[in-house]
Amino acid sequence: MSAAPSPTPLTPPPLATLRTVLALSRAEHHRFAIAAGALFLGAIFLYLVPLVPQAIFDVVIGDESKASTISQRVVAFLGGAATVRESLWRPALLMGALAVLAALAVHVKTRIAMGAAERIARQTRDRMYDRVQRLPVSTLDRIPSGDLIQRCTSDIETTRNFFAGQAPEIIRAVLMLVIPLPIMAMLDWRMAIASIVCVPVMLIYTAVNFRRMGPYFGVKETTEASMTANVTENLTGIRTVRAFGRAEFEMRRFEVTSGAYRDADAKLFRLFASFWSTSDLLCFAQQVIVVGLGAWFLSNGSLELGAYFYFLTVVSMFIWPVRMLGRMVVESGKALAAVARLDEILKEQEERDLDANTLRSALVGESTQKSSHGMHIVFDRVSFAYSGGPRVLDDISFVLPAGKTLALIGPSGAGKSTIVQLLLRFYEPNSGSITVDGIPLAQIARATIRSQSGVVLQQPFLYSKQLRENLLAGVRVASAHDGALESATATACIHETILGFPEGYETVVGEKGLTLSGGQRQRVAIARALVQAPRLLVLDDALSAVDMHTETAILASLRARQHFPTRILVAHRLSAVVDADLILVIVDGRIAQRGTHATLTKEPGLYQTLWEIQTEVADPDAIEEEVSA
Amino acid sequence: MSEVQRIDDSHARFNLNVWRPILSRARASPRPIIGLIAGGVIVAGIEAALPLFVGRIVDEARTGSDAVLTPILIAYASMFVVFAAGVWLFIDCAGKLATTTAHLLRRDCFAKLQELEQAYFDVRPTGWLVSRLTSDCSKVSGLLPWCLLDFAWCTAIVIAVTVTMFVMDARLALWALTAVPVMVLLSAIFQRLLIASGRHARRISSAMTASYGEMLLGARTTKTLAREAQNLEEFQQLSTSMNFWAMRSAILTSFYVPCMTALAATAGALVLWKGTGDVLAAEGVTLGTLIAFMQFAALYAQPVQELSQRFADVLNASSAAERIQSLLATEAGIQDTARVMQPDSTRIEELRFEAVDFSYREGLPVLSNFSLTARRGMTIALVGATGGGKSTIVALASRFYDPVQGRITIDGVDLRDRPLAWFAARVGIVPQVAHLTAGSVRENIRYGRLDATDAEVEDAARRVRAHAFILSLERGYDSDVGEGGDRLSTGQRQLVALARAVLRDPEILVMDEATSSVDTATEQLVQSGVDEVLRGRIAFVVAHRLSTIRRADLILVIERGAIVEQGTHRELLAQRARYFELYTSQFAADRERAILHTADAQAEKTVASLVGNEGD
Repeated sequence: MSAAPSPTPLTPPPLATLRTVLALSRAEHHRFAIAAGALFLGAIFLYLVPLVPQAIFDVVIGDESKASTISQRVVAFLGGAATVRESLWRPALLMGALAVLAALAVHVKTRIAMGAAERIARQTRDRMYDRVQRLPVSTLDRIPSGDLIQRCTSDIETTRNFFAGQAPEIIRAVLMLVIPLPIMAMLDWRMAIASIVCVPVMLIYTAVNFRRMGPYFGVKETTEASMTANVTENLTGIRTVRAFGRAEFEMRRFEVTSGAYRDADAKLFRLFASFWSTSDLLCFAQQVIVVGLGAWFLSNGSLELGAYFYFLTVVSMFIWPVRMLGRMVVESGKALAAVARLDEILKEQEERDLDANTLRSALVGESTQKSSHGMHIVFDRVSFAYSGGPRVLDDISFVLPAGKTLALIGPSGAGKSTIVQLLLRFYEPNSGSITVDGIPLAQIARATIRSQSGVVLQQPFLYSKQLRENLLAGVRVASAHDGALESATATACIHETILGFPEGYETVVGEKGLTLSGGQRQRVAIARALVQAPRLLVLDDALSAVDMHTETAILASLRARQHFPTRILVAHRLSAVVDADLILVIVDGRIAQRGTHATLTKEPGLYQTLWEIQTEVADPDAIEEEVSA
Repeated sequence: MSEVQRIDDSHARFNLNVWRPILSRARASPRPIIGLIAGGVIVAGIEAALPLFVGRIVDEARTGSDAVLTPILIAYASMFVVFAAGVWLFIDCAGKLATTTAHLLRRDCFAKLQELEQAYFDVRPTGWLVSRLTSDCSKVSGLLPWCLLDFAWCTAIVIAVTVTMFVMDARLALWALTAVPVMVLLSAIFQRLLIASGRHARRISSAMTASYGEMLLGARTTKTLAREAQNLEEFQQLSTSMNFWAMRSAILTSFYVPCMTALAATAGALVLWKGTGDVLAAEGVTLGTLIAFMQFAALYAQPVQELSQRFADVLNASSAAERIQSLLATEAGIQDTARVMQPDSTRIEELRFEAVDFSYREGLPVLSNFSLTARRGMTIALVGATGGGKSTIVALASRFYDPVQGRITIDGVDLRDRPLAWFAARVGIVPQVAHLTAGSVRENIRYGRLDATDAEVEDAARRVRAHAFILSLERGYDSDVGEGGDRLSTGQRQLVALARAVLRDPEILVMDEATSSVDTATEQLVQSGVDEVLRGRIAFVVAHRLSTIRRADLILVIERGAIVEQGTHRELLAQRARYFELYTSQFAADRERAILHTADAQAEKTVASLVGNEGD
């Protein structure tokens, strides 16, 4: 995938992105609140656990009179020092129970937060899928497919990880740091301060470090991309490599690109090595401060053993989550960038019809689905340019009565396909009007005009499904019977071919199945269009990959069909257009000539020139000349 | 199902064999391995020793002798410096091991691919192979050091803690250990379930990616069929089942992790219960020992969790490992055998197909009993409808494939008995779509003969009439052609490919003429280049241009894998049969094309980029 890697954002994302994050998770806010509540309770239970042994050390083992209030309360809760000494299982049970409660809270939090994240991911996947497939063609032209796929897959994954991981982790780290503060302060304020002196240093160190590493991630991505490009290029041209016997030469090239990637990756590892070891040192420094200072207080009698035990246990409980905090914040930055990229697409305008009241759904064929009436199509002074580009169509006017055939011929790039695409409302004309059955096209829902048209594009797409499913892809009602299917495939001269496949009509085609040739795909697509029983049949150079014989056969059987829609043929070969009721010769976006085969052959111009070639070829004299030349 | 179509990416069981190629390449870096293990053991040792220190400090602090306490505290603090050094060591070594192993794997896979024959690539999409060299190699190599490290670290910590505890107080040690079997059992159960649901989730995830891709490729078709709603419905089936498996993993995790922490805490509680009694009874257990034991008891959860996670990682990566192993183990189908002999003669006089049968897939013959003799100085044009076997004939003549039956001989000797390198040095190929590599024009032409001087490169370009256009480029021969040559037009790329072939001065030239239309001026240029290339060699041309066909010494009309007509242009025209038909339609098509594809290549490009990015 050649999608440009998204740059790591080095500045905090704008507030708008945070708003998008809130909007994406709106339906799950209450769940996240519950998860946060569970985290809060869980942290409290977790910090209560070491209170039990510290109370035992102070009251039960140590000198009861010197014990802190907290220790005395804990022991009182357990039934008093004497009882506890008799039945030591009591503090153990309390400790176990608190640990189980803490674990339960973690379970609730994990389950709810991850569940909410999954739901958000699923909803976003569906929304993105639907949004992208409903984007106007002009938008799809603009955004590369690789980019869109990346947004739909890895950006959604990053967003999911943010909701499932980073966001809860950040909250957890903060809670883990804040909750023990009052308990610590109550036990010994000097120790409490000593317990957190390293925290700010660590936060700053981590954040600065991860930012500084940003460029190195960039280098790794670039070298990886160029190595991938190297492999792709080599494999695409493997025939050339082999033909020229250049394996060794290619090997040397690859060792360079692969080596550069290895070095960039190793460099990152080295940076990580210093980062993790240094931040470990910071964490340990915090522990050493607590242990050392506590030991000193302990030896001069100003600190009880229980409190000492509590501090050294608690420091190791919050220092590691805090160490991750800086990293989580930096990674959330990346996640927010992904959210912003998703939002860009979700903000794109879909193809939009007029609202239901202004829509005129009363197309002739609408009431009688099986109507054999073709569409009556009128183009009146239609002009069009792709956004910002030069004019592609200029002043196109024609009337195509129901059931008649229009042929468009002319040089490639002249605008023939564009006429068809305007009719299907892939694009909107800049000026002029198009009407179908007397109704302005803009007042007809896109789905209506498209579902009543059978369209075969030059490079038709088949879904990775069975042939039968592909052929029925455009049929609304599931009632299309095998007879209609086979008559369509017979007309498109593909029935026999399909029967020759191992699984017949059940053969899976496309990426996961059988690869059809270009001509076979075109023929399947023609059959697919015919199965729709369309009121308009559009063949946009749809026979380009079909050999001459088959083309003739298909055109003949199309003419022989009973159901006779209006037809538009975009053709590169004259043979396909001779029978058309109206032929338009399109040159540079304008109608250069119009007429029928009979009139156009008599008129000097492109059509006549083309026709002369045909006749010249069939002329035996010319061949004789060639032979004797 | 073929290798390519299989999407299940993990195995239920561990199979050491698929990991062997990876391990053998990892062994090439013994120092990082030693450093990694040393780092892991150092860290584990210190982690195991810390509770002892804390215990000692507590005991000494209570008795209040500063003289003993201070050195202990200094020792305690300095252990952390060693610890950090250990961390630095193992991450650095992990980096060296992972990146070096990945590089070696990629290099060997790449080398293997250079050696494999065309048939291997026919059934494997380029993108699929690229992922083998990129993501698969990174995945398995990235996993390797962490597995080693965790194995070393976990083993060391478990042994150290257990031994220390038993030495200190065997009875209390047993209490501290009670939770461990439960932890192991729990991990085994949960990991099994997690692996299974992870496998489902990954399978659906790749199906979803494919679905997005299909949606984009077929966007226009979907619009013409107005089937957006059905598409979404089908997609939602995938996203729903993704949600199901992801939720299952989430729920499993939400049970597993808290269970492990609760178990660790329970072990601590048991130690507190039994230990306090011992302290009170003054049975030689000090408070420091008790505190140390409570910390020891908590130390088991992490190694158990880590090890079971690594085990799951290894299983999840086993498909990647297997794909790499199978690529490396693939034997090239076309390679020099023991019978290969160096030829005596210097120039090839004759290439002959003798009753050759060929098929790409068994049961679908493409050529049957095909014979043909080509002599030096002859240009043979192959014409006929697509799918008739023309490209197969030239592919066989280039030895991209070997015949299934019959043989191809050079001056009477079977091609299979000649060294590949010898033959390759004598063949020049001009493909239909000229494949250029990113780099300068000069480098691309020089690809034909690596030791050619600049003067020779330019001379080759002159001979195919490419010199003028190259000089007109911004930096002349040093202009970058872009990735795949995309900064040059189709015609220009063809000219560069011709120059490359001429520079090589091959004795056998195989050319697949481009069907894609270029503007008339370039077309004439290309044509005169082609004439130059063909002169004086054994030339096979899959011909699309009339001028080439007319000038050929022998024209073969190929249909259904056999020669249906052969002769010169005039002879064949006079026969008024298949060639006549082809010629007339070809003639018409060429003329039509000349008229309809006006020279406005720019306009075409714009339209193509705006309209034509659909299809496969």
